[in-house]
Amino acid sequence: MMIKHFNQQLIEVSKFRFVLQQLVRQQLILRYRRTALGYVWTLINPLLMMSVTAVVFSTLFKLELKTYAVFLFAGMIPWNYFNSSIVQSGSAFISNESLIKKIYLPKSLFPLSISLGILIDSVLSFFALLLIILALGGQFSWALLFIPVAFLLLFFFTFGIALVFSIVTVFFRDMQYIVTIAMQALFFLTPVMYNKAMLGGKVAVLVAMNPINPFIEMFRFPLVSGTLPSVWVVTQAILFAAISMVVGFFVFICNEKKIVFRL
Amino acid sequence: MSSITVNNLSIKFRIYHDRSPSIKDYISSFFKAHQKSGYEDFFAVNNISFEIKQGERVGIVGHNGAGKSSLLKTLCQVYEPSLGSVVVDGRVAPLLEIGAGFHPEFTGRENIYLNGAILGYNKDQLQQLESEIIAFSELEDFIDTPVKYYSTGMYLRLAFSLATAVQPEILILDEMFAGGDAAFIKKATDRMSQIVDQAKIMILVSHDTKKLRTFCNRVIWMDHGQIKEDGEANAVIDHYLQSGKK
Repeated sequence: MMIKHFNQQLIEVSKFRFVLQQLVRQQLILRYRRTALGYVWTLINPLLMMSVTAVVFSTLFKLELKTYAVFLFAGMIPWNYFNSSIVQSGSAFISNESLIKKIYLPKSLFPLSISLGILIDSVLSFFALLLIILALGGQFSWALLFIPVAFLLLFFFTFGIALVFSIVTVFFRDMQYIVTIAMQALFFLTPVMYNKAMLGGKVAVLVAMNPINPFIEMFRFPLVSGTLPSVWVVTQAILFAAISMVVGFFVFICNEKKIVFRL
Repeated sequence: MSSITVNNLSIKFRIYHDRSPSIKDYISSFFKAHQKSGYEDFFAVNNISFEIKQGERVGIVGHNGAGKSSLLKTLCQVYEPSLGSVVVDGRVAPLLEIGAGFHPEFTGRENIYLNGAILGYNKDQLQQLESEIIAFSELEDFIDTPVKYYSTGMYLRLAFSLATAVQPEILILDEMFAGGDAAFIKKATDRMSQIVDQAKIMILVSHDTKKLRTFCNRVIWMDHGQIKEDGEANAVIDHYLQSGKK
């Protein structure tokens, strides 16, 4: 039954792909319209943020800046993608209220356009970071060819959860604020700034259960050590991505038609 | 052959007594299961059926809250029927509110593509139509300016030119629209009547009974979500107007 619904959604979305393309374009263009540097901000912003963090924490942890910077950057790429997608998906339907109430469009276009827009940003800032990582002495290796697969799995994992939050926020507006705080907490439970091995005790157990781990590692192995992630890591990632998509899609098809009445 | 078939259609709204329910209410309602619920159901459209065949020009009248707009939105697929079914055969032009999808930060030209996509035009169509739309709206000098700097008239001119650029099979209108200065209103009214003439089916909701008499050959009178009368335009409008005088 789910598969039939899924096919229907794919057909609807492909019928409206030009609208999807326009919505993604709108998202990318608008953010930095009328700023002097324009789209370049998308690349510079995370770079500057990460550089500040790298300097502060390499001093704090007494680690060599170069090594730490590469380690941090590799973890920040998937985390930033995940974080922005989840936080922004909360307003997917709410900010398009006027449109949804006046004209029929497949509802999945709105969260999908947000996820795709952020994915494009993420891939571009990945290339900018890659240059820096290589300049700082990161390894260039064939393992980097795994990164597209990592992005793909990360996209599906994130999109499933984003679907849930985009729907839930329509029914409980409080969610927008809760998500921001929850994501901050989750950030500290995700080994982005630190290495899992540095932890001990109860926190280590919590961190080990974090489903984002394998996605961070899929980026970190190729970028930091130039090796492919282990089969176990990839299996976990595929499993979590699949669970997330199934749950997200299920919540979506159950509520898709109620959205317009609750905006 | 275009046609519209509506069968036992009902549209249900849930009215909340105080405010949008928060998570707190939701959780607390688990513990107080027997408490009176904070909402009630309201039928904006209550079990109506009708059929519209090719060539018909249908007007819909009724007092505020009679369910006219809810019915139109269901025909345009914005609302899903709560009960019953709606079958629409033919390309619908949803002209409920022109300019609804405009983004204020985008230029006129960018909005032609963004809003055009939303209205169902494809890329090739829009590339072909672009110059015609700009010419009709008389906005050649401002087309690359963000629409937030447009006057209301300019905004309406662009929205109107875009929305009416392609002849639809089924035309669904919530009030006739035409805006701008006197010369543009003339031009817009002409194009509007041309589109109405060539549409295979037209549905028009309006409070202006004169317009309904001119444009429609059949009128549906709605009252409290139900059809009170459905028939020849002049007869139904006469009855509707008489009921208002009493």
